[in-house]
Amino acid sequence: MLASVVSATLVGVEGQLVTVEVHVSSGLPSYTVVGLPDAAVRESRERVRAAILSSELAWPQHRITVNLAPGAVRKHGAGLDLAVALGILVATDALPADALEAAAALGELGLDGSVRPVPGTLALVDSLARHGVQRVIVPAANAAEAALVRGIQVHAAAHLATLRDCCKGEAPWPGWEPLPPPAPADDEEVDLAEVRGLPWARRALEAAAAGGHHLLLSGPPGAGKTMLARRLPTILPDPQPGEALEITRIHSAAGHPPSGGIATRRPFRAPHHSASVPALVGGGSGRPRPGEVTLAHRGALFLDELGEFSPAALDALRQPLEERAVRISRQAIALTFPADFQLVACTNPCPCGLGPPWCGCSAVQRARYRRRLSAPLLDRFDLRVAVRPPEPTATPGESSAAVRERVRAAVDRQVTRYRDRGWTRNAHVPAGALADLVPLRGDAADAWLTESDVRRLTGRGAARIRRVARTLADLDDVPDVGAAHVALASMLREDVP
Amino acid sequence: MSGSRQAPESPTADQVAAVALAGLDALGPRRLRVLVEHFRSPQRALQAVRERRAGAVLAPTFGPDSGVALDPLLAHWAAAVDPDAVRARLVERAARVWLDGEPGYPIVEPLPDRPLCLLAEGARADALDAPRVAIVGTRSATMHGLADARELAATLADAGVTVVSGLALGIDGAAHAGAVEAGGRTIGVVATGLDVEYPRRHRRLYRDVRAHGLVLGETGYGIGPAPWRFPVRNRIIAALADIVVVVEATLTGGARITAEHALRYDRAVFAVPGSRRNAAAAGTNALVADGAYPLTEWSDVLIALGMTPGSRRAAPPRPVPDRTGRAVLDALGGEPAAPEQLAARTGLAPEVVALAVATLERTGWVSWSQGLVWPR
Repeated sequence: MLASVVSATLVGVEGQLVTVEVHVSSGLPSYTVVGLPDAAVRESRERVRAAILSSELAWPQHRITVNLAPGAVRKHGAGLDLAVALGILVATDALPADALEAAAALGELGLDGSVRPVPGTLALVDSLARHGVQRVIVPAANAAEAALVRGIQVHAAAHLATLRDCCKGEAPWPGWEPLPPPAPADDEEVDLAEVRGLPWARRALEAAAAGGHHLLLSGPPGAGKTMLARRLPTILPDPQPGEALEITRIHSAAGHPPSGGIATRRPFRAPHHSASVPALVGGGSGRPRPGEVTLAHRGALFLDELGEFSPAALDALRQPLEERAVRISRQAIALTFPADFQLVACTNPCPCGLGPPWCGCSAVQRARYRRRLSAPLLDRFDLRVAVRPPEPTATPGESSAAVRERVRAAVDRQVTRYRDRGWTRNAHVPAGALADLVPLRGDAADAWLTESDVRRLTGRGAARIRRVARTLADLDDVPDVGAAHVALASMLREDVP
Repeated sequence: MSGSRQAPESPTADQVAAVALAGLDALGPRRLRVLVEHFRSPQRALQAVRERRAGAVLAPTFGPDSGVALDPLLAHWAAAVDPDAVRARLVERAARVWLDGEPGYPIVEPLPDRPLCLLAEGARADALDAPRVAIVGTRSATMHGLADARELAATLADAGVTVVSGLALGIDGAAHAGAVEAGGRTIGVVATGLDVEYPRRHRRLYRDVRAHGLVLGETGYGIGPAPWRFPVRNRIIAALADIVVVVEATLTGGARITAEHALRYDRAVFAVPGSRRNAAAAGTNALVADGAYPLTEWSDVLIALGMTPGSRRAAPPRPVPDRTGRAVLDALGGEPAAPEQLAARTGLAPEVVALAVATLERTGWVSWSQGLVWPR
C-alpha cells in the first residue's frame, strides 16, 4: 500500500529532486500532506481527487498520507500533482508498481484530469537527468522543452486517463510538436550601421562586447547613448555551448519557457529605472525569485538613466558585480543565483546634461547629481566614456555584422588563452593573474606605469585599464599589448560623469 | 627673507597669550584688539580675562542692547582660557605666530583692521616672501570658471607668484589646486582654527596646501566655522595680496566683499568678465562696470606685478612633439576638445590619438580631464 514517485521542485533557478511517497492504509478516509508543502501543494488534494474521478478511476476511501522528501526543502507550486496522482494509483494497485520504473513525473492536474504545463520544466528535467533518472513524464505542452535535455527519455502526458494506459504499455505515448527553429541571427531590427559618428563610444561598445567589460556611457540627452547601447546585442558573441543551456534553463525557471529551442543569443535585459531591489537582484517575499541580474546571466544588463535608479537598488548591484552571483539568505534557506552579467549603463553628466565644457550647472548642483552614483559603483566600470552629439557631417559607421566578426575573433583568442581556467573573458582575469596572463613589455609597460602615475590610479583602476588594453589588442588581433592600446584603454576610462 | 620666517622657534609668552585669547568664543578680531590695546599687551590682557576684569573694556563693543549677559561670558572665558595647552599645541603643530608689529608679520602697511595676530602652519613659510596674488570667487562656479581659476593659478605659480585664496569650494579650491599642480606656492586663509578642516570635502586639498605653502588664519585652535567669520576672514586675503583677481562671483557673494576690502586697502582688483547669461559671472561683470580691470590675458597680472611675462622662472623645457603630436596640437587649436573631435579633425585612428595625447600630457603640452583634452 506504499508507492513512491520521483518528481522535482524549483529551488531558486535550480531543480531539486523530490520523492513523493504515498501511503494508503485502512482507517477513516483522510488526506494528509507532510514535508514542507506550500499552499499550492497542500491544495493538490482537491485537484488530484477530481482528476482521478474525472478519469474514471477510483478514489480510495482510505487514509492517505503523502510525504514529500527531503522534508527540509520548501516545495512550491502545483507541479507535484501528477506525481501524487500516480503514487495514489500505484498504491491502490490501479497501476502496476513497475510501470514507473526509473521514471519521474512532472505536471499540474486540471479537475478534468488534463495535465497542465509547469514553469521551469527545463531546469527540473535537467536536475532529474543529473540525478540519473532515465525517463520523465512531462505535460505535453512542456515535452519539447524537456527534450532539450540530453540523456533522458521524455514522455508526454496530455490526460491522466490516457497516461495510465501508456504507463501500462496498453497505448503508445503521444508525440509532440517540436519547438520552432530559433530565429536566425541576422533577424535584428536594429543595426550599428544606423549610428552616425561616435567613433570613441563605438570603440568602447565593441571592447565591452569582446571582453565582457562593464560600460558606462555619459552624455547629454539625444547624443545617442541609448541608441548605441540598444545595439549591443547585435554584436555580442554567441554563447558557448554550455552557456546556452544554462541561459535557457534560468529563463525557463523564471517562467519564460523557451520559444525556439536552446538560446542562441545572450540575454539583454533592460529594466526600467523604477525597478525595486528584489526585481533587480532577486529575492522578494515568499519564494525567492531570480532578479534581472540573474536573467541577464551570461549576457548584458542595460540600465538607462542610471542616476534615476534608487540608491538602494544600485548599491545592491555591487555584490553581484563583484562576485558574479547573488546570495539570498533567508531564515530557512540560503540560495545562490548565478549573475554573471555585463553591466551597460547610461547617464547624464549633470542636471543640464551638457557636460564640460558647455555645462552651465554650478559645482554644487553637479556634486549633488554625481552623489547619486556612488564611487564604488563607478569604480566597477572598466569603460567610462563621454558621448557627445555627433557632428552633423558624421557618417554612418560599420554594420553590426562587421563588428561582430571582430568580436567573435577576439573572443576566440580569449577562450584559447584562458583554456582550463575558471573564466573565459578578459574582464574576469583576477588581478593576481594579470602579470602572467597579460604581460606588458617595453613601451606598453612604460605607458601603463605613466598612466597609473599621472592619473593617480589605484591598483584596481590600473588593473582595469590593463584588462581593457588586452581586449583592444585582441580586437586588433595582435599577440602583445602595445603602448597605444594602454593609452586608449586609459582614455576610455574617463572621470565621468 | 627675514629670519623670523625660518623654522618656528618656541613661541613667546605674548604670542601664546594672543593665540589663547583668539581661541575664545565671541572674542572676535575687533574685541581682541580693543582688549589688547587697553591692557597694553596680550599677556596682561590674558591676565585680565582670567581675573574677569575685561568686562568694563568690552561692554561698549556689545552695544547698549545686544542682550548679551556679559558676566556668564566672562566666567566662561576665565574657565576656558588655557595658555599652557595652547603653547603645547603650537609647539606640537610647529605653528608660526606673528603679532602685529613683530618682524615677519606678513602685512606691511598699517591697515586699519589688520589682525592682531596671525597663525600659520605649513611646509613653505617662504610663500610669504614672493609676490602674492589672491584668486577668489564663488563656491557655485561653472566648469569654465573652475578651469580659468586653475589655469590662472598655474600660470602665476609657474612664474613664482604665491597664490592666496580661502580654501572654499569652487573657485578657491580650483585656484589652490592649480598652484599645487604647477608645483608653486599657495596660501590658504581660513576662517576657522587651523586644526579644523572646513569644508570636509577639501581635506586632501588642505594637505596639499600645507605641503606647498601655508594654511593661515587669525583664530585660535578649536574655533569651528561660523557664518560671520568668513567675510571677516576675507579682509586678510585682500590684505595679504598685492593683487586680487575675482574669477567668478555672484552679485552678493563673499568674493565681492574681498574685492571691496581690496579697494579699501588700495589693492589692484582684476575681474574675469563672463557672459551675462551666467549667474556666476554677474558679480565679476558688476566689478568691471565699477572699474575693476577686466582680465582676459593671464599675463596682465604678471605685468601689473612688474614682472615680465614669458620669462618664466624655471620654465620646464618641453620636448618638441613628434608629427602626430603636432597634428593633435594643431587640431586642438588652443581650445579644450573631446578626443573624438581630435580624431575627426586629424583623421587619425583612436589609438593613435590616445597615444599622442598621452605623450603630450607627459611632456606638459596638454592635460586630460573631465573627458576633454585641455591645452596648457
